[in-house]
Amino acid sequence: MSGHRRFLIAGIAIALLIGVAAVFLASPDPDGLESTALVVQGEKTLTGDTPGDARIDEDHLAGDFSYSSPMPDYSLGGTLGPWGGILAIIGGTLLAFLAVIGVLRAMKAVSRRKEEQVEQ
Amino acid sequence: MHIPDSFLPIGQALAYWAVALVFIALSLRWARDEMHEEKIPLVAVLAAGIFALQSFNLPVGMGTTGHLAGGALAAIVLGSPFAAVFILTLVLIVQGVLFGDGGITTMGVNILNMGVIGGFVGFYGFRGLMAATRNLEVSAFAAAWLACLVPALAGAVELSFAGTFPLRAGLVAMGLYHAIIGIVEGFVTVVAIRLIMTARPDILQLGAAPDQQVVT
Repeated sequence: MSGHRRFLIAGIAIALLIGVAAVFLASPDPDGLESTALVVQGEKTLTGDTPGDARIDEDHLAGDFSYSSPMPDYSLGGTLGPWGGILAIIGGTLLAFLAVIGVLRAMKAVSRRKEEQVEQ
Repeated sequence: MHIPDSFLPIGQALAYWAVALVFIALSLRWARDEMHEEKIPLVAVLAAGIFALQSFNLPVGMGTTGHLAGGALAAIVLGSPFAAVFILTLVLIVQGVLFGDGGITTMGVNILNMGVIGGFVGFYGFRGLMAATRNLEVSAFAAAWLACLVPALAGAVELSFAGTFPLRAGLVAMGLYHAIIGIVEGFVTVVAIRLIMTARPDILQLGAAPDQQVVT
């Protein structure tokens, strides 16, 4: 197996392992941005724990655009249990990988075609 | 650090998109000019790894969690801040469109914060620190810490313009939380760089200038 391929497979395997571990081990607490929003809205103190019922009040925020993603919060809904999260993370990780390969290959193809046109 | 749609008025969100697009165009030019065939797997694996790591929220105390942003890692490993813009743009598109992590109108500001600011702070922070300390781990850790903190402070300023956070309270809370989250960012960045150095030193293009010796 070539070094390239071995690196690729090992890299993807590590990424997928991290993603799957995240489904079970990631903390449900808010991230730094959400925590800041809760602090400025008086739902949480700066250094204290986040109360279980703390929610960001979206009605008083400036943005009025809304979009419903197909897999919010990295899950496929409650019916699949943790499998929904695992599938969503695996799908997203592979998609991020393929998006990079796809864009780079497409750019290579375009510049190769341009070079050929110049040569002709 | 992913700003959702509801946090920014659409006019401001579009203005950040416009700035982000300039850097996205420059990152595509970087990819066209600098991307050799043998480096493509590294870029793709970094994107997959950063996506997975961004979904892994670790508790950092004070009822708050944090995850890797990845701008410093991408920029240091691939030797250009535009590598961070390129990778973070694609990761944020997947996250925003499919998973609702970060908004659509606010994808521009998220690319600007995590990709552009994170990438530039991480890259030049690493170069400067390498010149000063000649120590890879110390330089990468500190640069990644800064590449987590500075975008968070930028986010606080942007959200104060939006009227979402008061400036001072936003800077204090975002700064405090991300100063701690940055420790996770620094640690993961150093571990990832060491892993890649062990596996494929030939394709690693550490952000240090070529004449600088890496002391490990």
